[in-house]
Amino acid sequence: MVEFEVPEVDYTQYSNRQLVAVPLAVLLVALIVLAGWWAMTGSPVTLGVDFKGGSEVTVETTLSQQEIRQSFDEPVVSVQGVQGQSNQYIVTFDSSNIDAIRQTVDDTEGMERLRSGTTSPLFGAENQRLAVVGVGVAFLGMSLLAFALFRTFVPSIAIVISAFSDIVIPVAIMNLVGIKLSLGTVAALLMLIGYSVDSDILLNNHVLRRSGGFYESTYRAMRTGVTMTLTSIAAMAVMAVTATLFGIELMASIGIVLVLGLTADLMNTYMLNVTLLRWYKYEGVNR
Amino acid sequence: MSTLRENWRIALLVVLLLGSAVALFVPGTPPGTTPEEGAGDASKVSNLQYGIQLSGGTRIRAPIVGTTAEGVDVAPNQTAALAQNVSNELGIDPIDVEVRAGQRGANGTVEVFTRNVTNQELRAALEAEGYNPSTIRPGVTQATREEMVESVTDKIRTSALSGGRVQEVSAPGSSRSFISITAPDREPEALVDILEERGVVRMYAVYPSNNGSYVREQVLSQDEFAGVASDDTQSRGPVARVTVEQSAAERFSSEMVDAGFGQARSCRNYNHSDIQQTEGHCLVATLNGEPFYARGVAPGLAESFRENTFKDDPIFVLPADSMEMAREIELNLKAGRLPAPLDFENSDQLSLSPALAEQFQQNSLVTGLLAVLAVSMVVYGRYGRPEVAFPMIVTALSEVFILLGFVALVQYPLNLSHLAGFIAVIGTGVDDLIIIADEILQQGKVETGRVFQSRFRKAFWVIGAAAATTIVAMSPLMVLSLGDLSGFAIITIVGVLIGVLVTRPAYGDILRNLVLDED
Repeated sequence: MVEFEVPEVDYTQYSNRQLVAVPLAVLLVALIVLAGWWAMTGSPVTLGVDFKGGSEVTVETTLSQQEIRQSFDEPVVSVQGVQGQSNQYIVTFDSSNIDAIRQTVDDTEGMERLRSGTTSPLFGAENQRLAVVGVGVAFLGMSLLAFALFRTFVPSIAIVISAFSDIVIPVAIMNLVGIKLSLGTVAALLMLIGYSVDSDILLNNHVLRRSGGFYESTYRAMRTGVTMTLTSIAAMAVMAVTATLFGIELMASIGIVLVLGLTADLMNTYMLNVTLLRWYKYEGVNR
Repeated sequence: MSTLRENWRIALLVVLLLGSAVALFVPGTPPGTTPEEGAGDASKVSNLQYGIQLSGGTRIRAPIVGTTAEGVDVAPNQTAALAQNVSNELGIDPIDVEVRAGQRGANGTVEVFTRNVTNQELRAALEAEGYNPSTIRPGVTQATREEMVESVTDKIRTSALSGGRVQEVSAPGSSRSFISITAPDREPEALVDILEERGVVRMYAVYPSNNGSYVREQVLSQDEFAGVASDDTQSRGPVARVTVEQSAAERFSSEMVDAGFGQARSCRNYNHSDIQQTEGHCLVATLNGEPFYARGVAPGLAESFRENTFKDDPIFVLPADSMEMAREIELNLKAGRLPAPLDFENSDQLSLSPALAEQFQQNSLVTGLLAVLAVSMVVYGRYGRPEVAFPMIVTALSEVFILLGFVALVQYPLNLSHLAGFIAVIGTGVDDLIIIADEILQQGKVETGRVFQSRFRKAFWVIGAAAATTIVAMSPLMVLSLGDLSGFAIITIVGVLIGVLVTRPAYGDILRNLVLDED
């Protein structure tokens, strides 16, 4: 077992401008991706069945993907093999006529239905509305709480910006690698709000409420905070990999989104948030 | 004694762990379960309930078809007449119109349970009757939704479905609400069939024949009922009002006269379970062969049979003891049909084969264990001190164990999303334990209990703040009806609460004992 120590970063080497440039540039790129997506597809994220409506069946069959595709009368959006399970496939449709789809599966020789699900466009639209409300309210509540906890503008807004960036970056990457927004990924994004704020609060608390120099406090907070985030990344990475192998889509997508978001959080907390705090401590207070 | 007082947090943790073990493994502990149930099912190791994603089955969530006019000032004794007239006006089955009088004749509602009536048509029909509804909206009233849940529950129970769950779900800020029906061990087609299944309603005349035995003769069949409504009349109190099909009215009336109901009769020996035992002059209504109502015939009705005027206004009323009873008679006469149809076309369905669910159950357990292992390795790698890392992992796991005990106690069915919640709890739990450990261990030697207390309190500020944000972030999901996500949010919030209030402070105590012992 290799013991590891969180390395001490010499922040004095870098100017504020240099430090914030990286996370802000990444955030900007992510926002451009979302805006571009919005312009091209009419929605900033790729919506999955949960939000768009449609059907999904998991079947067990010896047929090839091409043969599966041809078995259905309804247009097939995708046929996806389940990792780690030979002969299991997830077939996705835009149609929410699940009765006909189930009928086809049951009538097709050598095809067994393991799971079937449908969301009507009506429910999809409702889910979209509720998810936006849910994430919005959660984010607003978190922001208010951050301000209530620290009662000063810069440290509080630092928490809010970095949480925002922690959510936007994984969403942009999801678009790029083709993960669709599902109820599971929305849950993951909300979890990110919680995780992201943990390390930010820890950092702010050490710098603002404790005695000791800025760099010393930052290092102490980092040692704890980085360990926390790494533990979570380890857990989520393992969950993402094993759930993908087992074909448990929901847990896999939660895992992937959290790994992405927590990695973004490392960057945002220890580059963006630290810099804002340093500016506040050394320059902002005097204004 | 003082050791116990100092370590009360650890003691509390142990008590909760024991309690959870009982809730999880002792059959019959959670309220509503019986030891026999647990023993009968040998495969059931624990008292945990699994949802369909982990045990197979079907869930259907469907909106209720209907349009509601609100603010209709209809008097209680006018409801049946209005329902009849509205159904005529709109050209729909009277069964699909429900009129409810409001408090003191104001704010009554008129609901139509069919797709092909628009808001404008309903408004026009009501205005033609001289009513002026304040709003017309899609959806049905709260009362109808409750009746829906009740009758769907009845249907599921009578079709020998075990473990079915029926719930009304409504989204805040939306007029739409839907009924969520979960049935383990049923295919979706079978579940829809059960929900759409109708019973058989018949009405019999029972009367003595010339030779002294009793004749039981069917006088009305299912399709001869044109409409049923319950009503609170001024003269007779609560009644169910039955309209007979015009085409059957004359035959019915003459058969009634032949059976001796041309004069007023009272029913004496009504047998509640068997019509063959009923004696006297009775009109008996049955649902699937079971009698549910029997009465004689009042003078007015008898006269209309005798004079053959019944066909001009083919309505008779069945007096009831209470409005609930009138309502029940109405629902029975509607033959177990749901009060309003469910909109399966716009539904959301999920169905899993038990085999796949079983696979999910095992695999997600393995996934969870591997995640815990990964966490343990990182923690051990970071601290390199088993006496710090080991209690940390044990504490995090005990948090999950207590949470499982809680879930077993409230008999909450577990789904995949809840397992994600468990993993979230382990994640935030370990994060907090790291904060505690670092705060206490990394600032030089802990010499006295007081130093320990102050450090612990400092750590706790961060933990409390972090927990508060997690709870704030999750709470909107708890109330929004976003599919499985509310379960995920509930698990996370309860887990965080258990963690902050019990297990994480207990870890502080464990560490104190370890650290102070070193001196």
